[in-house]
Amino acid sequence: MPRNTFCRSLEHAIDRRAFLGGTAAVGATLAADMTALNVLAAPEVNGALKKTQKRVILLWLAGGASQLETWDPKPGAPTGGPFRAIQTDVPGLRISELMPKMATRMKTTCVIRGLNTKNGDHGSAAKIMMRGRRDESGLRYPDLGAVVAREFGRAESKVPDYVTFYTQTEGRNMAPGDAGFLGARYAPMELTTNNYPEHIRRLEGLTDADHQERGELRELLGKQFGEGRTSETMNSQNEAYQRVRGIMASEKLFDITQEPQKVRDRYGPTQFAGQVLIARRLVEAGVPFVRVGRAWWDSHGQNFETHQEMVPELDHVMATLLDDLTDRGLLDDVMVITLSEFGRTPQINASLGRDHFASAWSATISGCGIKRGSVYGKSDEKGLKVVAEEVDAGSLFATIYSALGLNPHKNYYVGSRPIPLVNPGVEAISAVLE
Amino acid sequence: MRLRLLFAVSACICAAWIVNAADIPPPREVPQPAVEVAPMPREVPQREIAIAPKPRAIRIASREPIPEVIDRYIASAIADANVTPAPQADDATIIRRLTLDLVGRIPTTGEVDDYVKSNDPDKRAKLVDRLMASPGFVRHQAAMFEVMFYPEGDRRGAFRDYLVNALKENKSWDKIFREVMLPDERNPKQKGAGEFLRSRVADADKLTNDVSTTFFGVNVSCAQCHNHPHVIDWTQDHFYGMKAFLIRTFDNGGFLGERGSGIIKYKPTKGPERTAKMMFLTGTKVEEVGVEPSAVEMKKEKTAFDKAKAAKTPPPAPKFSARTKLVEVALEDENADFFARSIVNRMWHRFFGTGLVTPLDQMHAENQPSHPELLAWLANDTIANGYDLRRLIRGIVMSKAYSRSSKYEASSDLPSAKLFAVAKLKPMTPMQLATSLKIATTDPASFENLKPDDFEKKIEQLESSARGFAALIAQPTDNFQIGVGEALLFSNGDRLTKEFLTDGGGTALGYAKTLKEPKDVVEFLVKTTYGRPATDTELKALVAYIKKRNGREPEAYKQVLWALVTSPEFRFNY
Repeated sequence: MPRNTFCRSLEHAIDRRAFLGGTAAVGATLAADMTALNVLAAPEVNGALKKTQKRVILLWLAGGASQLETWDPKPGAPTGGPFRAIQTDVPGLRISELMPKMATRMKTTCVIRGLNTKNGDHGSAAKIMMRGRRDESGLRYPDLGAVVAREFGRAESKVPDYVTFYTQTEGRNMAPGDAGFLGARYAPMELTTNNYPEHIRRLEGLTDADHQERGELRELLGKQFGEGRTSETMNSQNEAYQRVRGIMASEKLFDITQEPQKVRDRYGPTQFAGQVLIARRLVEAGVPFVRVGRAWWDSHGQNFETHQEMVPELDHVMATLLDDLTDRGLLDDVMVITLSEFGRTPQINASLGRDHFASAWSATISGCGIKRGSVYGKSDEKGLKVVAEEVDAGSLFATIYSALGLNPHKNYYVGSRPIPLVNPGVEAISAVLE
Repeated sequence: MRLRLLFAVSACICAAWIVNAADIPPPREVPQPAVEVAPMPREVPQREIAIAPKPRAIRIASREPIPEVIDRYIASAIADANVTPAPQADDATIIRRLTLDLVGRIPTTGEVDDYVKSNDPDKRAKLVDRLMASPGFVRHQAAMFEVMFYPEGDRRGAFRDYLVNALKENKSWDKIFREVMLPDERNPKQKGAGEFLRSRVADADKLTNDVSTTFFGVNVSCAQCHNHPHVIDWTQDHFYGMKAFLIRTFDNGGFLGERGSGIIKYKPTKGPERTAKMMFLTGTKVEEVGVEPSAVEMKKEKTAFDKAKAAKTPPPAPKFSARTKLVEVALEDENADFFARSIVNRMWHRFFGTGLVTPLDQMHAENQPSHPELLAWLANDTIANGYDLRRLIRGIVMSKAYSRSSKYEASSDLPSAKLFAVAKLKPMTPMQLATSLKIATTDPASFENLKPDDFEKKIEQLESSARGFAALIAQPTDNFQIGVGEALLFSNGDRLTKEFLTDGGGTALGYAKTLKEPKDVVEFLVKTTYGRPATDTELKALVAYIKKRNGREPEAYKQVLWALVTSPEFRFNY
């Protein structure tokens, strides 16, 4: 019943608000913050970091956000759902009406509409979309965060290399950060219970001086043992301890009360907003990679209510982040990505839900060396398949690496075996690179 | 051209998996692998098995002891390279290394003192025999084998129990191989062995590669999509040949089932589709000559499987078992070289930290061993002695090559790791580290004057209490890098403080509090953590640290102990 009624109801232009009932007003509270965008403080100068180091914020839409309710709407199609498409600031580019703020900021962003990633299982698809390829038997690939940490992190860095937030419980263990063969050195600092990393604070009862000086004792003992001994693993242990004090000092970066109230107000009151603001603080301080996971988009039932609730939050927070980065002069060096493990079916199921769909979905890349205000890929009129400019996980990753200034064919070595950043034969989409 | 070749090697990471992936998989379900089992071709008249004849290799047990052979080959390569090897390690280091490697913990200070003071010329052999006879040997070696069978950490309790029992009974490696590959699941002692296959049957490609890697030291996954561009040994026929032995195996309601028929077809990079022949890595083929089972027979087989499933019993074995053939072929004549060389290489790697062939899963013609004759000798000796793991382990750890110092103070450059001229630092496994922390932070007096059984019980208790902390530490792999997460855990986590650095009765810190002089405390703490006397540098720095904290000595002792156990001298097996 619901499905048929629904499709017909669209054709007959039945009031969407009536259809969606009480949830329609959810976006309104966030919309009020728009005015704050006009009262930005003077952009800060970020000195040397800006020129040398690219950084990435990945907004991970866990569970699979719908491309139809975000970047690739199909209004009027039987699969289109109740929402309209609206014109953006990029001529010819229309996105869902649930994203009015991003609609005025698409000049910062490239939309990839032709993703065909061929895997519709949460766990294995999340692995693929975080690594750009499937693990080989006996070879675990590093994910995007670990590669970026390895490429842009510094040995003596006083900040973490790779931070990941995933505070909701749904699907968390399906998409853990993983350094793969790059090893524990590039493993993520995972924040799952609150916005403070584990073990970043000194234990109560230990004075700061004692913490520092016992560390110096350790170093002395390490040096004594190291005489006449050579070992990469031993070096990595000493480096790890040398970074402890610096990372502890970065605790403040995780504290959003350090931000002016007006900045916090601009991002908004939600947990996701707070984490994205922390991500901005982290990349500004030189953290190469931050993932902010937002769950759970897996709308097998009530897809439209789910998206009406979650897309405006994404729209607002993403728009605020891009404005903030622009104002701080960071957008040329900080890339913002929105990505899921897959999209959602154009077909609407009996529970008014959309199911897993990996054949024609969307992602976005903003900032760094990506061509801003561009669209790549085209799905058919119902959104069932890609009809032009198809992109798989590998070429998406090659594009991300290229836009960060990395050669996607650069090799890592596992033993003597060369392992390129992307699989051989995979190329970046040159059309969306600047 | 060389560069192009290297590039081509990396092309192994190919994308054949895409073929299997459905465009729109069913929602919320793990996609099932494509079923590749097809009935046998009809034209073949009858079933019989023919295995290509091979000249029978002669395996003669050598009279020369393993350690002498190891030392002869290792010394000769060192002399050829014209380098000076590191000297033999001192006694305190040797007992620490042996205890960590054989039973997975540091020795107690009592054990160190007894060993260092002993003038018995056979003291090392006696120590090795005592350690290998202790229950800790079985536990630690089982844990090491478990990592080998489940390198990705996805471990199974039942499989671990099987390994512990198998090692306790001193089962030979070929017997373990048979039981893992062909478990008698009616026998409760072998039920757990089936987990290795059962946990992998959902993905036949992974199953094929994991069997090949674990037992034969050969990663065939590169050959899945195309002939290996760089290694002439491996072609697609090898990958699919191995897969053909395993494709009929499946999970029949918690028990391993095997169909009596089923073939794989694959599309080579060139030419028409092929049917894979069961073929071992050496090229030995198993010809299965038989008729395609009739519809009635197929139905009968299926009914039997369903019946076993409903009754929760192991299903009947097929008349012709491809998996049994794999085990037979792999252990036969010269084919057994893969199996024997791989276990020798893995044991060598376990005790030396580097294999004779490295990496462990690349044992092929293009990746020669550092000591080919030694590997061949050890493999032959292992076969001739019935794949006795204890004999092999004992032989390795009794060699002089094993007991070299990890310090290299000669003026020349550090010799290549492939010469085994200097001992390699091995990061402790999570259990080695956590158990050793327990031992170092326990009052050494509590280990003294215990009957051997009581001593072992106490060690086992400490080991059990260390398990929770061990779960927080990363399992080392080759080229292991320790991350900042571990340093933060040790620096700021409360578990180290609460579970190890306590100062109640029976702890090292509790005993330290009874000592009067800071110097005595430092000497005591260095001894209990490192098993050796304190150096002048340590005495000076650690005593000064304590004296600066006049009036709050117990805290100072705790911090000194923290510095000792977080230093590389504790973290590594040197």
